[in-house]
Amino acid sequence: MVAASRSSPPPFGRFAGASGRRLITNAVLAARFLPVWLAAGTLLVVAAFAAPDALGSTSWSFVLPTATVLALAALGQMLVVMQGGIDLSTPGVISFGGNLIAGVGAGSDHKLPVAILAALGVGVLVGLVNGILVGVLRLNPLIVTLAVGQIVLAWSSKYSRDVVTNQPNVPAGLASWARERQLGVSNVFWTGLAITVVLALVIRYTVLGRRFQAVGANPRAAWMTGLHVRTHVVLAYTAAGTLYAVAAVLLAGVSISIDPAFGSAYLLAPIAAVVIAGASLAGGLASATSTWLAALALTLLTQMLVIMGLSAAMQYVVFGAAIIAGMVVSGDRVAAVLNRGLQLVTPPP
Amino acid sequence: MRRKRQFVAVLMLAAATAIALVMAASGTAGGRHSATSGPSGVGTGGAVVGSGGGFGETYSAPKGTLTHALFQANLLPPGKTARNISLAAYGRSTKTANYALALKCWKNNGCSTGTHGKLTVAYVEGFGENTFRQMSKMEFILQALTYPQIGKIIYRSAHSDLNQAIADFKSMIAQHVSAIVTYPDFGDAMIPVFQQATKAGIPVSTYAWGYVSGPGSNYTTVVGEDTCKLGKAFANVMNTKVGSGNIAFMGGFPGNPLSAGWQKCEQAALNSSINVVANDPTNWDPSKVQGIVAGILAKYPDLKGLSYEDALFMSQGGYAAYQAANIPYDGVFTYRTDEAGMGCLADKLKDPKLQIYYYTAGNAQIRVALTADMMKLAGAKIPPTIVFPIQLQQQTKRDMCLKGYPGTASGTSLIPLSLLHQMYP
Repeated sequence: MVAASRSSPPPFGRFAGASGRRLITNAVLAARFLPVWLAAGTLLVVAAFAAPDALGSTSWSFVLPTATVLALAALGQMLVVMQGGIDLSTPGVISFGGNLIAGVGAGSDHKLPVAILAALGVGVLVGLVNGILVGVLRLNPLIVTLAVGQIVLAWSSKYSRDVVTNQPNVPAGLASWARERQLGVSNVFWTGLAITVVLALVIRYTVLGRRFQAVGANPRAAWMTGLHVRTHVVLAYTAAGTLYAVAAVLLAGVSISIDPAFGSAYLLAPIAAVVIAGASLAGGLASATSTWLAALALTLLTQMLVIMGLSAAMQYVVFGAAIIAGMVVSGDRVAAVLNRGLQLVTPPP
Repeated sequence: MRRKRQFVAVLMLAAATAIALVMAASGTAGGRHSATSGPSGVGTGGAVVGSGGGFGETYSAPKGTLTHALFQANLLPPGKTARNISLAAYGRSTKTANYALALKCWKNNGCSTGTHGKLTVAYVEGFGENTFRQMSKMEFILQALTYPQIGKIIYRSAHSDLNQAIADFKSMIAQHVSAIVTYPDFGDAMIPVFQQATKAGIPVSTYAWGYVSGPGSNYTTVVGEDTCKLGKAFANVMNTKVGSGNIAFMGGFPGNPLSAGWQKCEQAALNSSINVVANDPTNWDPSKVQGIVAGILAKYPDLKGLSYEDALFMSQGGYAAYQAANIPYDGVFTYRTDEAGMGCLADKLKDPKLQIYYYTAGNAQIRVALTADMMKLAGAKIPPTIVFPIQLQQQTKRDMCLKGYPGTASGTSLIPLSLLHQMYP
């Protein structure tokens, strides 16, 4: 099924046959998600010359788990963006989730399962609240999720000050699990990869996933076919909140201890990863694997800049320029340009 | 319709479960401690250092208080006036303070002291979201509570927002506060509001070597250690204990005066055989520390030493980076702060190759800054700088891991331990 984007429908004109339509569809889809793969490949080549240490095992031991955490946050954001929304409560959920791991866990492995459930509970709750406010009450997602995020962050700060400051370390079991490696790669990475693959398969090959895509691509058309648009929006935000909470648990394991600024870096970075991966902020198609790759590229770029020894100011300049470049050549724009180009070569009906 | 109802029911059940879990987890931790009063500082018994007085102050302090805060009682500023101000400030640790009121003031970011005093004092800072700043805030409150003429205490943090920091300062001026103590996270960007306050007759002092250009004219005074001498002390440790090889620097916010001060002097005093291979700002954010240390270790896995302000963050983010990279957490580390957590980590690791040298975090310096402001209001001439001498401590000889102290707390803070436990139960 072709999920038409909210921009012009793909032209079929002279390619009116079934194989032609399939060719057009695949070209447009590939154009949407190919740039991030090309960008990641280019980054690896640049790293090999400019900062070869960034590709060493010591660097990967930090980059892969950190990129996985960003990827999970970005996947949650991706689900929301697919429904034409946006979610700025990510830092609040990750912050509160991490503080609950330390506070409820209280340094004890016996309490770790409850701590993880509490963190996940926060994610589900916040996601549900966002979903109801945006999907049911039809409030502006930018404002509402920012407000909800601020409230969650305030509670997190209070909890951190009252409980966590005296015992900021996560339970040793979580920290050691996060440090362990399978086939030389962190458990955190494998966990994130598994979640990404499952999400990609669900979106692409299940009825739920295809309906989810259809609602995001064209809510009016989806409603007309009998799909429950509001329910899917609520589901998107709830699933996003859950993914942020999972990211919080993994980040807590990687960080070993929780500080007051835990989670603060995850406001705009997940959105940047989603857009660079080719998703349109207007809603519609997105790719879990491309989003994961974009998160990896952003994390690797950050690490490269540190290794290259650039001053802090230059790091900000380079990182910002890379984000802009990524958005200029993002899949969404490439797909739109390709669409327009194909329309030009198609004779009018 | 039935499926929709089922879906809604599932979501409601999930929400109810989530709420139950969160409420169970977020229940108030720690018991309610009975409120008491007590000395506003630590080490208040025993011999006394100093004599004389003036401008509403007594220029003497218990030796125990000075030893606790400064490592040694004779590590006072060399100038007579600066020394007297310091003695006056630390000497107030013997005065009684109401801990319940102090705690309430700390939690509520301000309060009325109940003395009906005419003065209002404010602690305004650009960033307050770490334990060091929160402990300094309590030190400020405890010091303010020793002045019956202070009727109101105000606290503001700008949450790392320059515009907010300026707005907070202007708000204090508009409210005609009597004195302001601040840590100028944004450096010289605060000069216009410092000048405005000074012109309005409001003394402004900074602490922890929060240096802004023009002390003595743009503002009253800066309290802290000589950061250049701190850097030279760090260099001395590196020269003798590392000898040759690669070391790294880390600092706080880019361009902040504290980091810039010691780094410049340490770099100049190092042996030529020691290479400073990295110098990165961390914004004093532990999660950034982890990323930066990971980057440094990726390029220089044989790093022999590291100089940074914050011991606690290295025991958290820095240690996590070493662990993730499978590199032993040893080498020579020099820090400006003395949080118990780093000492306890060192004790746990028991690695003879891990050598830690540290200075006091200096939370109590804020008391000196407030007393300088109060003495200025009383007509005293305050020196533009109040500079404490440097003496680094060695972890193996003076353990930072003090019994009963939270890991995030500095052992040289003058906050009484019982109150500290109420702040961080």
